[in-house]
Amino acid sequence: MTSRVMRDFDLLLPESVAEVVDLLTRHKNNAAILAGGTDLLIALKFDYAVDNVISLALVPGLAELTFDPEKGLVIGARVTIADILKSPEVRENYPALWQAAKVFATPQLRNTATVLGNVLRASPAGDCSLALLALGGSVLLKNSRGEREVDIDNFWISYGVTARQDDELAMAFKIPPPAAGQKSAFRRMTRTTEDLSKISAAVSLQMGGGTCQTARVAMGCVGPTLVRLPGVEKILEGAEISPEVLQEIVAATAAEINPIDDKRSSAEYRLKVAGVLVKRVIGQALDNGGNN
Amino acid sequence: MGEFEVVGKKVERVDVRAKVTGGALYAADVQMAGMLYGKIVRCYDYAHAKVTGLDLTEAAKCKGVIRVLGPDDVTRKEYNASVLDMMVSTDMRGVLGDIDDQNIFTDHVKHYGDAIAAIIATSEEAAERAAEKVRVSYEELPVYLTAEASKQPDALQFRPEKPGNLAFQLPEMAFPDNCYAWGDVDKSFEDADIIVEDTFYVPKQKQCQMEPGSYIALYDDQGRLNCWTSTQMPKLVQKKLANLFELPMTRVKINQTVIGGGFGARLGMVLEPETCALAMAVPGRPVKLLSTREEDWVTSPSRHPGKYWMRMGFKKDGTPVACDARFENYKGAYYVDASGTAFTTGAWLGGMYKFDSLRYHGESYYTNQSICGAFRGYGNPQTNFVMEQLIDRGCAELGVDPIEWRKKWHKTVGDDGWCMGVPYNSCALDECLDRAAEAIGWAEKREKYKHQTGTVRRGIGVAVMNHTSGAMPMLLEHTVCDVLLHQDATATLNLACSDMGQGSHTTLRQVAAETLGFPYEDIHIATGNSDAAGFDIGAHASRTLYVGGGAVKQACEDARRQLFERAALELEESVDNLYMEDKIIHVKGASNKSISVETITDQGVNNFMNPETGERIGQPGQIQGYASFFPPHNAPPFGTTIAEVEVDTETGEVRVLELVNAHDVGKAIHPGVVEGQLDGGAQQGLGMVLTEETYYDDKGICQNNSFTDYKMFGPSDMPKMTNILVENADPTGPFGAKGVGEAGLVPPVGATANAIFNAIGIQILEAPITPEKVLRAIEEKGDII
Repeated sequence: MTSRVMRDFDLLLPESVAEVVDLLTRHKNNAAILAGGTDLLIALKFDYAVDNVISLALVPGLAELTFDPEKGLVIGARVTIADILKSPEVRENYPALWQAAKVFATPQLRNTATVLGNVLRASPAGDCSLALLALGGSVLLKNSRGEREVDIDNFWISYGVTARQDDELAMAFKIPPPAAGQKSAFRRMTRTTEDLSKISAAVSLQMGGGTCQTARVAMGCVGPTLVRLPGVEKILEGAEISPEVLQEIVAATAAEINPIDDKRSSAEYRLKVAGVLVKRVIGQALDNGGNN
Repeated sequence: MGEFEVVGKKVERVDVRAKVTGGALYAADVQMAGMLYGKIVRCYDYAHAKVTGLDLTEAAKCKGVIRVLGPDDVTRKEYNASVLDMMVSTDMRGVLGDIDDQNIFTDHVKHYGDAIAAIIATSEEAAERAAEKVRVSYEELPVYLTAEASKQPDALQFRPEKPGNLAFQLPEMAFPDNCYAWGDVDKSFEDADIIVEDTFYVPKQKQCQMEPGSYIALYDDQGRLNCWTSTQMPKLVQKKLANLFELPMTRVKINQTVIGGGFGARLGMVLEPETCALAMAVPGRPVKLLSTREEDWVTSPSRHPGKYWMRMGFKKDGTPVACDARFENYKGAYYVDASGTAFTTGAWLGGMYKFDSLRYHGESYYTNQSICGAFRGYGNPQTNFVMEQLIDRGCAELGVDPIEWRKKWHKTVGDDGWCMGVPYNSCALDECLDRAAEAIGWAEKREKYKHQTGTVRRGIGVAVMNHTSGAMPMLLEHTVCDVLLHQDATATLNLACSDMGQGSHTTLRQVAAETLGFPYEDIHIATGNSDAAGFDIGAHASRTLYVGGGAVKQACEDARRQLFERAALELEESVDNLYMEDKIIHVKGASNKSISVETITDQGVNNFMNPETGERIGQPGQIQGYASFFPPHNAPPFGTTIAEVEVDTETGEVRVLELVNAHDVGKAIHPGVVEGQLDGGAQQGLGMVLTEETYYDDKGICQNNSFTDYKMFGPSDMPKMTNILVENADPTGPFGAKGVGEAGLVPPVGATANAIFNAIGIQILEAPITPEKVLRAIEEKGDII
């Protein structure tokens, strides 16, 4: 049961990354980071209790979204979903991420919620997170001892749990530059338009000479974390994407997922439509990225 | 009917400026000196349990706590939060079997969220913190969520006077064999060539009004109980509170605050009893009680869910010979509105088609769900979902066009209406059907969609409905209005009619302006003060414009008559020889003989004597028009919706592409207001048929009492929509108007279900029709055409 009243906590307003790291070193799991706050503030009205909330509002250098054709995309910790939508480079080079941002929650939430916050939430229903899993990349973490990068494939441990240590600040998400012939797309199903995903899929395909060279295929809401579908990727790699191959993928998808019954849908339904969704998101990726 | 000056115009609504600028004062916004805050301690662990221990000691010690209240610290008098029992005679109340079975705080939890105790503290935070310290122990009892479960012989009995947990069935004394019926159904079925039959499920839909329950109460130093509430029914709540706390009505005052949506959720009392009980525990201090959304969800009523069985018989030529139906609703934990919906669900059924015979059973069973009560349409959407799907199944078997069949067999002027013995006095449903069919291209699309291939299929479907303007003659219909003419020839209407956002204060003001012959700007509508206003039933049954408007019209006619009588005296002419134009009363054919309305109203108030003659100048006395109005009929609105959908047969997803709503509104007093009602109604109708349902786990714990997991249609889900207003003046409505508050919700329900049937050849029997159900049905059938 929710409340109209938030837990008591100290709001800390550091003005540099070093200060944030210092605070995290001191408070560890008794502190929460506030960037967009769209998950945190709700959690604080339920049963999540921490004594310290560390706001990133006054920390310089974290709100930058930069694209370099050689180095790829860097998404700073305070970059919002709306910032993603405003970026022509993201739309052009990483359609899956742009499409996920486009349907993400509502306009008000898109203006506030951050991409990195979505990743750190470690929900199997995260939309931008799913696009990032398909595109590949890493989370840049910093603590008092230094920085490290964790590949997104290894970042989510279980529901709500990530590889981030209590004393680490997630600084940015880094996506490699797009390969020649890279196509990507995101697609989801919901109960109504403005809703959390009940099942979602994203792909990134490197096409060359009419065949798929490499593939990353990811799904949401089919297990405790967002997952990749290695069996489907294997079917795609080296194949011409023909109707027969797509049919093979439809049949193979269900074997790779482990959905449950929950309030948004049933395991039975998710198993039935997962293959259809993957087939469609592949078609969408090939169709000019599906940005239309 | 001639041209109108104000009626039929899209004048500026009286409420919009304040609402869009944030100026509107809702109960939650009201602040008072010395205000205290209440928090109700509710049971969220069980849906059915005995309270075996209640320990308030730790809570009482918390900082800021003024009082802690258990069941024995407030009145233990039982009450019925609904006001339905006040709309029938005492005799009829006995016949219906209405009972009082609610307590302010209970030691027998009957649904998730039932109230156990309360805290009064100096802040909302302090009250909530203290509420967490209340210790309650329970003995768990078996949970009955459905009628099928609670009617079992070994089930625990909710109330001794309601054996079998049957809260209500149509009473034998008024309805022989406990059914609403005409003809001999069993015999009629013998004449049928085609019989269609099925059992459907209709969902527990929630009103989802924007404003959660918010109240303030103050037991003041004059011993008066003041309550600030956004109730739809201030005068009945005034009387209900007077009864509950055993006070005369002069010592209970309702201050109605701006209503943030009602749709039936505020029909009767919700948390007024709790708030007033808290206030009476701390005399002289105002107490504010604010619900969270989750709390509002389980404490205010929902639509009645349940099993709805129906069987229809037709002759080969299409003649509808018989209809047999039974609606067993899952009433919820308390009696409130057990009788009303169980009856009306059948009334709408009986009011629609010319079956040779009909038999309807309506039964309400206690369950451990939260209470059911009024919700826009009051049984009509449930009937629409079931009746209209079976009609289309019959049409498919007969090979006839669903619109042509409906035009031939719907009831019309002279036929018995939804209440037997009260014939319809106006009906323009044929024109509604023709114009809707034309607007959406019915004939071409029906033909085209017969020959589809591929995984995405389109379909088009129709549904019709009858409704009512006020609940006469089943329930009391009465509104009192007075209109006071000020000395500057402006006027103030004083009445208790509610505007829940539907625009009624605007349209009532239009009726007043038109009747008086004054500009719209010269009228003020004063409401919200139960000390000042006379009786009004409250906003329900699409009645406010029809009955309230009738009262306004009659009161304004009374004032206008007085103006003309005074003008006649001053001008030394007969009343019949006068006319008004631009607030000047002229003598017909004599352009130089006239008197302004302002002269009359000014002289009435500022009445002086001529110092030379000693005679009064003009006619003395401030003019006040008055009406205590009982409507002669219920001006039935009729309407249709045609829906076009697209069904994705690989995923079961349904997309609504277009709705055309055509409604017989009598006369649109404010066309924008009418369209707003139809738009909003369609949004809720689509939600009921496609996405909305409150549901519980096996233990009766509500799973989706918030917008996270209860999904309404949002703006981007809404289809292209066209509203066609068919204006066929009702002989009894003010300027011909009929009620439109509920009608818009009803036919989108059946039309959407029928469009899905048209697209894939399958009827889904349980609402909401989710992709999960559609896909399973497609797989079970194996082939979609």
